[in-house]
Amino acid sequence: MRNRRTVAAAVFFAFCLALFPFAVPEAYAGEATEQIKETSDAVIAVLNNKELRKPENRQKKRKKLREIVDKRFDFGEMAKRSLGPAWSKRTPEEKKEFVSLFSDLLENTYIRKIERFEDEKVRYNSERVDGAYAAVKTTVITAKGVEIPVEYRIFKKDAKWEVYDVIIEGVSLVNNYRSQFRDILNSESFAGLLKRLRDKEKKETE
Amino acid sequence: MKKIDLEIAVGFFLLIGIFSLAYISIKMGKLEVIGGKGYTVYAQFAQSGGIKPGADIQIAGVTVGRVTGIRLDKNYEALVSFEIDEGVKLQDDSIASIKTSGLIGEKFVQISPGASEKFIAPGGTIRDTESAIDIESLLSKYAFGKI
Repeated sequence: MRNRRTVAAAVFFAFCLALFPFAVPEAYAGEATEQIKETSDAVIAVLNNKELRKPENRQKKRKKLREIVDKRFDFGEMAKRSLGPAWSKRTPEEKKEFVSLFSDLLENTYIRKIERFEDEKVRYNSERVDGAYAAVKTTVITAKGVEIPVEYRIFKKDAKWEVYDVIIEGVSLVNNYRSQFRDILNSESFAGLLKRLRDKEKKETE
Repeated sequence: MKKIDLEIAVGFFLLIGIFSLAYISIKMGKLEVIGGKGYTVYAQFAQSGGIKPGADIQIAGVTVGRVTGIRLDKNYEALVSFEIDEGVKLQDDSIASIKTSGLIGEKFVQISPGASEKFIAPGGTIRDTESAIDIESLLSKYAFGKI
């Protein structure tokens, strides 16, 4: 009798364990949110670092930010998605060059923008997981108190969640570049697009 | 005898009128009496901006389907179902955005095709979406600042 009860308890326990993985995606702060939080905490730590705020440490600060962001953002996937249907027509060399120019573009436009931020906070609102894809909704609160909704679209690469799109104020970064690149490709060639990206980089670094 | 002829003629014209009216309303309302020839995909939007069934779905300005239904899901987001014309394949990284023609015009869905080698199967979901942008709240946020 007693033995049977232990078996029943064991079966029940195993059943609960089996159910557990399905219960996880419903959890508020899941693995995806944790990993996004880890990255943005690291970025905030660099931004709030008094030593790095000095003008002479600007390059160092930028390098640090890029290192942190590189680990979490999949620039290759972002570049591919941004190019859209034109991606499959490119040769591996062209793809490689495009990815490197695209990540420089993102660095120049976004890292330069966030490096001026100080004392901002991030609120993690919700997370939605759908298989190997997830969306993490956050709100960035600037020092002045302006709230900016930022949503990260991420996908699972082995054990790591990587960002493939960022949606700021409801506008998708990938979709923004996708429509711009499509317009450029319609009026010019792929070489023209690369040239524009190169020129833009040159102008930014001057 | 003559009177009956006249009445039949009037009735006949009336019937033609009713049929024309029914035809026009079906055409204009884009109602499908017999099931359409396409497949269904779903998309989730945080803000549907009041899009209505029958709204166009466009790729590069070409209508490739229409909205068939909208309902609220358990996360209080809008679950919109699309009927996409047969022969139009959507990559699984396509992005669906709710747009407005002009400033206060009709709402429609724009799909920008992606780069993925995989396509969305009938009954599948467009994972990446952009909600309708509320220009009013954006304007007020940046024009007047937030407290």
